[in-house]
Amino acid sequence: MNGQKPRFLRPALIGGAAAGILSGIPIVNCLCCLWILAGSALAAYLLAKDSSEALKPGDGALVGAFAGVVAAAVNSLVSIPFQAVNLAFSKRLIERLGEYLDQMPAAWDEWMARSAGPVSVTWFFAGLLIAAVVFAAFGALGGIIGASLFGKKAPAAPPGPPPSSPQP
Amino acid sequence: MRTRSRLVLLYGLTLAGGLIWLGGIVLAPWLCSRSSPLAPVVYACFSPVCHQIPERSFALFGHPLAVCSRCLGIYAGFLAGTLLYPFRRGFASVRAPRTALFLALSAPIVLDTAANAVGLWATPGLFRFLFGLIWGPLLPFYFLTGLGELALRARTK
Repeated sequence: MNGQKPRFLRPALIGGAAAGILSGIPIVNCLCCLWILAGSALAAYLLAKDSSEALKPGDGALVGAFAGVVAAAVNSLVSIPFQAVNLAFSKRLIERLGEYLDQMPAAWDEWMARSAGPVSVTWFFAGLLIAAVVFAAFGALGGIIGASLFGKKAPAAPPGPPPSSPQP
Repeated sequence: MRTRSRLVLLYGLTLAGGLIWLGGIVLAPWLCSRSSPLAPVVYACFSPVCHQIPERSFALFGHPLAVCSRCLGIYAGFLAGTLLYPFRRGFASVRAPRTALFLALSAPIVLDTAANAVGLWATPGLFRFLFGLIWGPLLPFYFLTGLGELALRARTK
């Protein structure tokens, strides 16, 4: 297992970073969870490329889950510069929900007021924790699909006849 | 723990997770209709994995669901596939679906998503849901294969 960690690290970082960036940018993130699946499949592809053996589904699950956790962290960081855009969208969503009600519940006003202010460390890490768990599950799925698609290796060619010794 | 017991346990956890996930999607508008203070929290839990654009989401109890129609189709399909799993695969061993089947079932959602992204056409919500519903049932067959193989590998060590 210890030998697996460095082997998994690079693919998980690359796949996770790609998924985290793309799922954190407004408009581009309209593909929802598909970015996490694609990033984790990319991690499995990179792992398979560097491996001489066929990739097992469990290897894909592991590298995909790691990529998902990386994606959650990157997504949280990438979302910070886009906080204003995301906040405007959240406000619009809550206002749309409020249109169906006679009066906006006080707790929703509090939620919007809290969202408008600077993000507290507690809320940031709570969001990161939820995203890490969800992205790890999605990442495992993407990694397994990636291992299934890219993990197969062509069977090794049978050894040829030994080279004949030169005739004296 | 025997192979079958491990796979049944994994299957049970996956089924429970799918039910809770889909339940949360429906719970959000219900809480919203009751003006519950928890409604924004439940919506926020699904925000990392879906854009939640109200115009692209089905409504229930007069409020949009916690995810868009395409995501709802994928998750509903995932749950349907999980329910089908024991009848198609059983719990004696694990095996991933064939690549050709994956490509065939992925083609509609991939093509439609790409066409919407580049502005070729705008698919109505019902068709987005259906494309997700076509793709989703395949996913638990991968998920359970990968986690099952890991669990069996841990057993043999």
